[in-house]
Amino acid sequence: MRKIRILLADDHKLIRGGLRLLVEQQPDLTVVGEANDGRETVSLAKSLKPNVIVMDIGMPNLNGIEAALQVTQANPEISVVMLSMHSDESYVLRALKAGAKGYLLKDSAESDLIKAVHAVADGKSFFSPAVSKVLLDDYVRKLKRSGAEDAYDLLTPREREILQLVAEGKSNKDVANLLNLSVYTVETHRSNIMEKLNLRGIPELILFAVRRGIIS
Amino acid sequence: MRASTSPNAVALPTSARDLPSSEHSKKIRGLLLIAFGWLLALLIGAGVDALFAVRRLDRASQEVSRRFTARNHALGTIVVSVRVYDDQIERFLLQDQLRESAPDPAEVTKQIAAARAALLDFPPDRDPDEQLLLAAMQQQLQEEETSCAIVLAWRSDLRQQRAYQFIGQQLIPWRTRIFELSAQFSSLDERKLALENLAVAARFQSLESRLVWLVSLALIAGVLMSLVCGWYILRLERQARLRYDALARSRLELEGLSARLVEAQEEERRAISRELHDEVGQSLGALLVEVGQLSKLVPSEDRVTQAQIAQIKSVAETAVKSIRDIALLLRPPMLDDLGLVPALEWQAREISRRSEMEVEVHSENVSEALGDETKVTIYRVVQEALNNAATHASAKNAKVTITQNSDKITVEITDDGHGFDPARQRGMGILGMEERVRRLGGTFTIASAPGRGATVKAELPLHKADSP
Repeated sequence: MRKIRILLADDHKLIRGGLRLLVEQQPDLTVVGEANDGRETVSLAKSLKPNVIVMDIGMPNLNGIEAALQVTQANPEISVVMLSMHSDESYVLRALKAGAKGYLLKDSAESDLIKAVHAVADGKSFFSPAVSKVLLDDYVRKLKRSGAEDAYDLLTPREREILQLVAEGKSNKDVANLLNLSVYTVETHRSNIMEKLNLRGIPELILFAVRRGIIS
Repeated sequence: MRASTSPNAVALPTSARDLPSSEHSKKIRGLLLIAFGWLLALLIGAGVDALFAVRRLDRASQEVSRRFTARNHALGTIVVSVRVYDDQIERFLLQDQLRESAPDPAEVTKQIAAARAALLDFPPDRDPDEQLLLAAMQQQLQEEETSCAIVLAWRSDLRQQRAYQFIGQQLIPWRTRIFELSAQFSSLDERKLALENLAVAARFQSLESRLVWLVSLALIAGVLMSLVCGWYILRLERQARLRYDALARSRLELEGLSARLVEAQEEERRAISRELHDEVGQSLGALLVEVGQLSKLVPSEDRVTQAQIAQIKSVAETAVKSIRDIALLLRPPMLDDLGLVPALEWQAREISRRSEMEVEVHSENVSEALGDETKVTIYRVVQEALNNAATHASAKNAKVTITQNSDKITVEITDDGHGFDPARQRGMGILGMEERVRRLGGTFTIASAPGRGATVKAELPLHKADSP
């Protein structure tokens, strides 16, 4: 079995050491390199071609978000797991926009890292459960204070189904095949979903799905 | 950071000796006042004096010409009356030969009386020459009157017999004599007129020289005073400039000082935040990882040890959380990680989570490449304004609007709290915001009134580094 090749990027050696320790206990995972800052990550990603990059957001010389953007644009096959201390929407959304597939809180890295690496290597997404909780709390609080209704309730069961599949990273064609629909119908559902939820782009859609606990 | 100069060096003018005591100034002012009064009096005196002198001269010259005219008039009356008289005497004498109506002797005598009256009316003058002439004229008239009184009494035969002789011997010489006398009078008058005109001219000259003297004096005094005033004004200006410079310098130094204070504060916060996050936070993070490893090494049946490990983990997690909160407050890494707008959105949500206030953020056109100082300033202003709204004004909603255009970035924080009077309540927080904004050359305003919410607005100029 081929091992999943991992690049660790964090400006703190201590953290990198801890992460490496976690990863190397797994037989199917291997750390192929360590980067100390954003630039180094970008260049190592290019030369080492890892399957997964586990990357801290706050790094000197190009922060993690910028580095993720450059890596995923140059090598879309590399999956990035963002490592962050913050569960706030701003961070999650930026990470998603930068092309990250996973978002891991540092507090829970120890318990969730392996799950996250496996998930993203598999083409799925992964978000720390605490993140979904914070996102949902914010959303519910806002709805309650403004008196608005939850847009999710407006979705039909079919639309909810499609929302989940799209958020999991499936293409329109995959969705169409899975649900036995035409690609055109899927597209229509998709744009209806975006309109009902008032979302702009896939990152916001994924964020919404994470918030609702549709994906994790 | 620049080496800090002593704050005590601020605000004192270079040396108090350069600046005059108020006593000294008072003396100079008094002297100037007296001098000005004197100059003014001199000018007014000269003017009034000249006015009166001119009027006197005018009157004198009028008097001269009036007397000349009066004398001429009197003389004319005398000469005409005498001539008419002589003519009538002649006609009286020749009435028989000429066969025309003879003049009435009573009328004839009236003429000589008129001549005598005119002579008496002659404006008297103490001139001896004139006196002599007057006497001669009087004598002549006397003589004529006396002789003619006899002639007028002549009867026809006597008239025919003596008329030509009387005319030849008396009347003709009289006429000549009258002419001579009148000519003498005239020339005397002409002479007197010339003399009097000369006197007037002399007085004019004396007035002129006095005026010249007075005006020169006033001019010299004026010039002197102008010089003194000019010197005094220059001195005042120099003092004012000195004071202004000192004030401007001290103000500048004060501004620099407070700018450095803000700078130092920000720098310090950043350092502490980094220190906390990098050292303490990361160590604790690593500790958590190690503890996780440890719990895996301990068999799960060993409940006591596992519970101990869980406890250690929980304590470490709490510590990580506090450290993170402190670090965040000191220097939010969002600014560096995400840029201004996401950081503001983060802050808005953070406050919404912690307080009863819901915060919305609207942004337009905001560049991701703002300078660090601009970002931090806006972030801190928003932080302070939102904190005030949530804690002091008990606002339920707040809105942050941030817009950027070609040369400036504007941020506005509006809340629906119970407001305050910005003119009277200005805490350290507001002063701090204002100071930060002013330091970057921006403007800062607060609009609020009790019961009407508050709007904090800051406008920052954009520099090259900030442009998108």
